[in-house]
Amino acid sequence: MQRMFMRRVGLALLLMLAATALTFWLVTAAPGNVAALIAERAAGAGADGEMIAKIADDLGLNDPLPVRYARWLGDALTGDFGVSLRTGKPMAEEFAERIPMTLALLAGGGVLALVLSLAMGIAGAASNGGIVDRVLHGLALVGASTPNFFVAAMLVIVFSVWLGMVPTFGVAGLTSWLLPWITIALFPASVLARVVRVNLQDTMSRPFATTGFAKGLTRSAVLLREALPNIAIPYMTTFGAQFTLMIIGAIVVERVFGLNGVGAFFIEAIRFRDFIGMQAILTLFVVFFVSINLLVDVLAMLADPRLRRPRKA
Amino acid sequence: MLKLDRRSFLATTAGLSFLSVLPRVAHADGHADTLRVAIAGETGDLDLLQNVSTLSSYSAVFDALIHYGPGGALEPGLATAWTIAEDGLSISFDLREGVSFTDGTPFDATAAEWNLKRWMGVADFSWIGIADNYDNITIDAPNKITVKLKRPVPAALLELTIVRPVRFLSPKAAAGQPIGTGPWIVESYSSTETVLVRNDAYWGEKPAFGRMELKVVPDELARANALRAGELDVIGGDWVAALSPRRAKALEGEGMTIVAEPGTATTILGFSPKSPMMQDKAVRDAIFMGIDRAAVATVLFEGYADPTADIFPTTVPTAGARTPVPARDVAAAQAALTAGGWTGDASGWAKDGAALEIAFLVSEESFPGSRRIAEMIQGMLMEVGVKTNIETVDNATMHERRPNFDYDLTFFATYGAPYDPHGSLGASFVTASDTGPDGKIYVHPDLDALVATALETGGDSRQGAMQAVYDWLRDNTAACPLVVTQRLWAVNPRVKGFTLPATDYDLPFKGITLG
Repeated sequence: MQRMFMRRVGLALLLMLAATALTFWLVTAAPGNVAALIAERAAGAGADGEMIAKIADDLGLNDPLPVRYARWLGDALTGDFGVSLRTGKPMAEEFAERIPMTLALLAGGGVLALVLSLAMGIAGAASNGGIVDRVLHGLALVGASTPNFFVAAMLVIVFSVWLGMVPTFGVAGLTSWLLPWITIALFPASVLARVVRVNLQDTMSRPFATTGFAKGLTRSAVLLREALPNIAIPYMTTFGAQFTLMIIGAIVVERVFGLNGVGAFFIEAIRFRDFIGMQAILTLFVVFFVSINLLVDVLAMLADPRLRRPRKA
Repeated sequence: MLKLDRRSFLATTAGLSFLSVLPRVAHADGHADTLRVAIAGETGDLDLLQNVSTLSSYSAVFDALIHYGPGGALEPGLATAWTIAEDGLSISFDLREGVSFTDGTPFDATAAEWNLKRWMGVADFSWIGIADNYDNITIDAPNKITVKLKRPVPAALLELTIVRPVRFLSPKAAAGQPIGTGPWIVESYSSTETVLVRNDAYWGEKPAFGRMELKVVPDELARANALRAGELDVIGGDWVAALSPRRAKALEGEGMTIVAEPGTATTILGFSPKSPMMQDKAVRDAIFMGIDRAAVATVLFEGYADPTADIFPTTVPTAGARTPVPARDVAAAQAALTAGGWTGDASGWAKDGAALEIAFLVSEESFPGSRRIAEMIQGMLMEVGVKTNIETVDNATMHERRPNFDYDLTFFATYGAPYDPHGSLGASFVTASDTGPDGKIYVHPDLDALVATALETGGDSRQGAMQAVYDWLRDNTAACPLVVTQRLWAVNPRVKGFTLPATDYDLPFKGITLG
């Protein structure tokens, strides 16, 4: 187990390294000139060719790409992600200010997706072809097919503009989180609800479920006591994948609801060609993706002894 | 029939109870003395020497020696009077007495000198004429200074009205502390909002309310919804939190007050001086005559734009004589092509074996809505027989291609007040200027000489020298002005007496009272 865990961690680190190298190459290959942007920030309309050339030289922008990547990686490992071209603040400071906001959004959305998906999936399986099952199936399809910017706009119009129950933007108490959480949770909750429903249906046809019925257990009892624990692994892995994708949703949700998280910062970084900001946030995304997937792998191994067995040739 | 059992009844009741306890969002409650203004990006620390903070908030906190008034009128700021020497080589300022920075530091000649020396004569600010030609400063009295110049700078006084770096910071302010003499004091700033409180010791007209909250709302739809919900009082302003004409029209239909005033910046269709096709004046004339500016203003700007054939609107000083806005004339456009040696008709034109086909460079990022305008112009020119190919690129590509004149047609905009006309003329129409990624609208050796003369001419001759530039641009069809977009704002009904400041770079608060 320990060896397998170390192997997974090693692979995860390699993956992070490869992904950061790829993003570094993509960001540097994008149109635009970092030196020109820095010069423009420092001197406004007074930025000229000479100043731009000097900045490029000072920053080593004329060095070969591998050298630049190695230098960037060395700095990043010490927590130095550079200074944002847009705000003029070190990215470490930006992270310290913005990551808690994004984490709160993802955590709330994750919990909501978890609760909603289990509730919808179990209710659908309990109904088993009845009206509740069909309605929930329809809702899940709608939830999985509706883009989150549209969901956000509709929620704001109904609950903020018409009913005046919650703020349209910003953070002002728990109620201000409701719409962002619902918006970001709707898609994963819908997908996960189908995962729960389909897997429960499959599990309910297994022999142990039949045995449960033969022993006189009710359908609900068999669902909750016998079938539900058996869908833990597929649910956990799908939840992990959906949770990591929520950070992509955060990019839109944070902007729409005026939350100053890393997603909103990423959009502005792209708009202003803040290459340093973009690279730092892409690195954060890579670390997030890989770490969550690693965590899910480890939890799955702990939950299912079969996954801990070494593979035979 | 609906069946209601005990479990669903309890669940429904619990749900409704939860919703009912959610507090209704306070609209004006608790904000009676606070104006809530949307800003698209955080203000930052309002560093006067860095090009980072958003431009719109400086004038609330910092004063300049001279303030920009309606139509470019120069109004006393921290200077109550000024005198330009006859040779134009020195300007004396009488400084306002009894003024202090909000940290208690007195504003006097010493503080003024300290501030001016931070940017005058500094290479980074050589784009400002008075900084580029700075010689020295003398303190003539505790409240009188004289700035001496190496060469006359006729636009010097206008340059002293711009946003940064010309405004005055307390010499005792620590780094990152925005302390000025203006009507507002920065209480706090973060990435979500900046809170300003009234400077009760302000030397000028004090705001009628005590607090202003600048809320960061990057998304335009979110701003509109927040206004609808009563969470914001004011949205709009190109440099504050832009409001699109479509959104303004929608809000107007919902009972919001829309304030639209003539703008100060012109949207211009630029012809690349390096494009062989665009070097042909007949082609430029055909395009100039083949566009229906009124339709562009009405359809694409929902009426919130004014058609124009001039480089600068009358809202900026020395904008020159007015050129009648030409009605679209397809026949005249085709006649111009024929006179220029082109053969063809509405199906297409050719000259010396080359078909008339134009590359139209567009970036939605650089100029939101430009794709739609380009498509409309494409349709209009198609009827003349001029084929245009729209190339949509991102902002960075636009910033690379525009300085290299790597296009046939593309959009430009003049800077607007308080930077014009000298700002746009000196940057966008001069071969030697380094405008970086912004590119230039048109350059030509003859134009260089005219612009240089105009910018160096002061006094009564200035208007004539400026007019010579405008005439050259018009006679050579060097650019194709389209519309002057109006300054658009939407305000909550509780805001009374809303009046716009003189420029798009200032926050509106003067004259406003809160209901």
